[in-house]
Amino acid sequence: MFKTILFATTATEACDHSARTAFQIAKQYDAELTMLHILGVPSRGYSQMVRDVKTGEAVNVDNEYRAWVVEEMKTYYAHQLESYGRVKLDVIEGHPHREILRYLRKKPVDLAMLGGPTGGEDDSVYKKVVAGSTMHRVAKHAPCPILFVARQAASFWGGISNIVFVTDFSRASDAAFEYAARMAGSVSGELHLFHVVDISSMQGGMVMEQELIEARLREARSQIRRHYVKKLGAFRDYSVDVWEGLPYVEIVKFAREKQADLLIMAHSTREKDPESVRLDSNMEQVIMRANCPVLSVNRPQPI
Amino acid sequence: MPEGKFCNKVPVNTEEELKALLGDTGGKQYYEEMKHLDVDRDKLWATIQNTCKSRIRTWLEICAHCGMCADSCFLYLINDCDPVQVPAYKIQSTLGEIIRRKGDVDNAFMRKTMEVAWAKCTCCNRCGMYCPHGIDMGIMFGYLRGLLYGQGFVPWELKIGAGMHRVYRAQMDVTQEDWVETCEWMAEEWEEDYPGLTIPVDKPDADIMYTCNAREVKHYPEDLAEAAVLFHLAGENWTVPSEGWEETSLCMFAGDWEACKMQVLHVYDAMDRLKPKRMVGTECGHAHRATVIEGPYWAGRDDGQPPVECLHYVEWVAEALREGKLKIDPAKRIKEPVTLQDSCNYIRNQGLKEVTREIMSYMVEPGYFVEMNPNGEHNYCCGGGGGFNGIGLFRPQRNKALITKRDQILNTGAKLVIAPCHNCWDAIRDLEEEYKIGIRWSFLKPLLIDMVIVPDHLKPKD
Repeated sequence: MFKTILFATTATEACDHSARTAFQIAKQYDAELTMLHILGVPSRGYSQMVRDVKTGEAVNVDNEYRAWVVEEMKTYYAHQLESYGRVKLDVIEGHPHREILRYLRKKPVDLAMLGGPTGGEDDSVYKKVVAGSTMHRVAKHAPCPILFVARQAASFWGGISNIVFVTDFSRASDAAFEYAARMAGSVSGELHLFHVVDISSMQGGMVMEQELIEARLREARSQIRRHYVKKLGAFRDYSVDVWEGLPYVEIVKFAREKQADLLIMAHSTREKDPESVRLDSNMEQVIMRANCPVLSVNRPQPI
Repeated sequence: MPEGKFCNKVPVNTEEELKALLGDTGGKQYYEEMKHLDVDRDKLWATIQNTCKSRIRTWLEICAHCGMCADSCFLYLINDCDPVQVPAYKIQSTLGEIIRRKGDVDNAFMRKTMEVAWAKCTCCNRCGMYCPHGIDMGIMFGYLRGLLYGQGFVPWELKIGAGMHRVYRAQMDVTQEDWVETCEWMAEEWEEDYPGLTIPVDKPDADIMYTCNAREVKHYPEDLAEAAVLFHLAGENWTVPSEGWEETSLCMFAGDWEACKMQVLHVYDAMDRLKPKRMVGTECGHAHRATVIEGPYWAGRDDGQPPVECLHYVEWVAEALREGKLKIDPAKRIKEPVTLQDSCNYIRNQGLKEVTREIMSYMVEPGYFVEMNPNGEHNYCCGGGGGFNGIGLFRPQRNKALITKRDQILNTGAKLVIAPCHNCWDAIRDLEEEYKIGIRWSFLKPLLIDMVIVPDHLKPKD
């Protein structure tokens, strides 16, 4: 299923959980793993300087500097690189989200992985310019599935036997469903189809009648059956669940209850300003909280 | 030593030479070689005799040394009113001196002159407004830069920049294939949210031919996508040329007159080939100055005008909002204190201040727009104009120069600065990085995308 994998990394602690998973998947599928580091954000107009994302210093990037950064990466991942050889390392400069997307367009892969967010550090070079939003922007536009591993608890990629697919019934969710169904079939695992009726407006004083909530729960279950279950054909190891609540909380709880190995969902927000959706973004919250890897699929994937 | 390997009087004309020069990290060898570069005095004096026309000779002659230009110069003010920063002194002690000595100057003089020309003047032309005789030091420094470039005394980055234009006809290494591919990429990426969105390449007889800045293509192509979305929503019949799409001119900053002509002719050729009704350029000040205001003269056009009517992006935005092609959702107007950076190159030098204020009146909830002081044609340079932003050698001087703009912004109390100019946008970003005053900065396009009403027939059907 995964012959080529791109792992975009800052080569810092923030990416350790993703790195562990990236190597696990690569080994399991004997995939070619490319580790890409966006080494600096251009910060001086047309000058040759970039601000190094690790050191925070303004540097003149040349081949020597790039080679030095590659060596740093090799040192940081020395242990993993010893255990698996089909790995290429690459460094480029630019705005992270854009360069990752450009890379994916030029060199398509079966799966891309992003390290954890760097936004927590006050002096993070990424933070104010493009930063914490890299995850959002890449997830929205990537042509391939993107796997996020934000927590140590989520970084154990063993046998996949429980997949949770979360839908908001968008077109992007259809693509995520197709991928989830294919994956469940290929690993002979269970597929849990899940939707959350969002009642978070109640916190703002908008009281919903229980009858209305229950009607929505019924409608969503019916919609899952109409829309997805009939496409599963002979596949029988599935379940359908609809809960009410704050979506990301319920998704994380559901995944925990089902002992999910993988959460698959679409990142379908239409909000243009990544900064303004950051806190509200369901997916980002799920990624940050789930105790399994989260796979974002937004568009149909070739078989 | 007469000519260095990197620092010499020969412009960069091939990709190989360009890569070699880029390989000299930070221009270390380049600047070392510059210390030994000979001045070709005969050539320098001959060039002056052929090119220094009556306007500049008169200006140098009639300067009364009254010093009224001093307070107009933000570099004079920010450097503790150092007399060597008085504009009249700066030009008289450099260009004036070269002419008085009939070109008989040495290496040390030329290197000192290079510093004055690129680190003590941003060619913002503000002094010209305050001189009782209308003497414009910015114009003269532009001319002086040409003399220096011809002798090889030019900052490393600008020799590279001018070389980029000579090799790629763009300020960065963006080839025609890269450009067309980026157009396709952005149209594909954004079409999902804006069904029917295209970036038409080489469409003849369009109403608008759009030109942009290679940095957008190279580093943040979203800007191109946003331009496409706004043209799409406004229902414009528009196109981009496959060649001649780069509006900027680092050669103008460098003083490479030959490359200036090459670059602007490339854009004019696209106009002749595609015959658009008008050209609209991106949110860039110097690009507009180069292609629309100075360019016709470089190209030797008798009427002093480009081949077709040319608009700065702010003019198109104001027109689209005025005529209702773009409509702003009143609920999404900016409702926080916001200020506007006036770009020297199209506000002071082309008088578009009313146009940008008109845009603010549509985009900002009444009561929230705060003018900088001074503003409009009196506004100070962002601190990074004229090439200052890009020159590593003069970074400390540039960072000090940013303090003027920093304090102007702080005095408005606004946390959002709209800067419809690449150089200004960069300078304001850098001043935040340097001084951390807690501001945000933006071009017009992303703000407009967030607040324009998408007509029902252009909304995605999901």
